Amino acid sequence: MTRDTRARRALPPGSSRLLLASPLLLAACEGRQSVLVDGGADARILTDLFVVMLVGAVVLWFGMNGLFYWATRRSPAPHSQRVANWLVVLGGILFPTVTLGALLVYGLTLMPELRATGDGPVIRVTGEQWWWRVEYEREDGSTVTTANEIRLPAGERSTFLLDSKKVIHSFWVPSLGGKMDMFPGRVTEMTLGPEKPGIYRGQCAEFCGESHAWMAFEAEVMEPDAFEAWLDAEAEPAAAPATPEAGRGAALFLTQGCGACHTVRGTPAMGRVGPDLTHVGARHSLAAGRLGTGVEDFARWVANPGAWKPGAEMPAYDHLSDAQIGAIAAYLEGLE
Amino acid sequence: MDRDDHDREPQPQPHGDEREFSEERESLWRIAFAPTIWAFHFIISYAAVSVYCFKFGALFDMNTLRFALIAMTALMLAAIAWIGWRAFLRWDVRDTGEFTNPEGSAEDRHQFLGHAGFLLAIVSFIGVVYDTLPLILLGSCR
Ligand code: HEC
Ligand SMILES: [Cu+2]
Repeated sequence: MTRDTRARRALPPGSSRLLLASPLLLAACEGRQSVLVDGGADARILTDLFVVMLVGAVVLWFGMNGLFYWATRRSPAPHSQRVANWLVVLGGILFPTVTLGALLVYGLTLMPELRATGDGPVIRVTGEQWWWRVEYEREDGSTVTTANEIRLPAGERSTFLLDSKKVIHSFWVPSLGGKMDMFPGRVTEMTLGPEKPGIYRGQCAEFCGESHAWMAFEAEVMEPDAFEAWLDAEAEPAAAPATPEAGRGAALFLTQGCGACHTVRGTPAMGRVGPDLTHVGARHSLAAGRLGTGVEDFARWVANPGAWKPGAEMPAYDHLSDAQIGAIAAYLEGLE
Repeated sequence: MDRDDHDREPQPQPHGDEREFSEERESLWRIAFAPTIWAFHFIISYAAVSVYCFKFGALFDMNTLRFALIAMTALMLAAIAWIGWRAFLRWDVRDTGEFTNPEGSAEDRHQFLGHAGFLLAIVSFIGVVYDTLPLILLGSCR
């Protein structure tokens, strides 16, 4: 059952015409980054909340306009003081107080579940300009560092410890739940309980500079066993270059100074300025959702990062020859 | 402070300006009482819970704090209800039948301030109830 049919069934008859009247709204119901796709309990709760508010707003809208129509067209003569007084007391005080009170109670009863304590992995995510540093804190005390991608086990509640380096960002995977701001120097915590395996998309939701719109990431929800296997693999050092071309790329990576900013575990590259590239070839996207992970994507990025993300804090390497860039790309693409 | 003029005869213009204004100054203060209680309720509730959660969470049970704050809420609601009732009497709508008091005489202004104080007490009462709902519905620091 798609999210779409579910949303439509939750609405009362008659409102389907309203939905059809807005193809934009319908188009937004699909997709990996839709708030109306329910990848887990949190998103489902928020969708229900949205539907309740939407239906309420539509009913109110018709009610108010109906009243307006009645008072100006149907019965335009002045009404008695008595009627007017009751209208003020009932419609102006009692009705809003009770309605808002009910919504407040409803909203508050949702909160304990949305803020439940995590029982799954603990993931530290730091917002940078314009990418995400991701660190899994394992039970044995060790940390697995990666970037621009988050993987979560289905059926467990993961805890996110959110931080930021310079400016305020906001961490949001619309199909998995609500969002939470990331502040420099102040760790905020949120938990998400994804249920349906799949690849969703997250997006920075607080304007953070030129390339804010290009600050996204993939969030893959996996079966718990697959997740553990992936995390074990992620903890391993980088694979050795498999081809001579990749070998030349690995050498260039070091001589061109990439290692000053990037870490490739198992090599002398230990920089912490940019994303950890140890397993960058196994990711779903490059540069925080900006590009794919084909060899040509790596080549395009390295030649001129600023062309893809204005203001990117990585220098362009357009002085390298195509062959050199190709070798670096082959090396990176092989880092699975 | 507690003079209530509602049962006095409406007086045309017998007082000097000073007397008139001193009376109204009092009423003016009085209409701010209920919203002030609401403001203090809000500040005390939120400050107490956040300080508790940040510093003293391990020291004593949250329910102790919740019940203390709920008791405070009950007292404040009673105070607001009482203030609202006094303002209602000052407004004197049941005797005069006048809702709006548009005349601008001393007595009129007096009743108008009663009206305003009454409405502000209603808003403050609702505000305090809304402030308290999280305390009742969310029993933890999360
Ligand atoms: C001055 C520091 C710096 C240097 C030097 C540098 N980078 Fe980067 N690199 C960054 C930053 C910062 C980002 C993140 C940019 C963004 O996404 O906005 C990045 C992103 C990347 C990415 C995408 C990573 C991801 O997680 O998707 C790749 C691949 C990459 N750099 C490769 C290289 C290569 C190859 C070199 C050397 C030829 C290099 N970088 C040199 C800072 C640097
Ligand atoms: Cu951002």
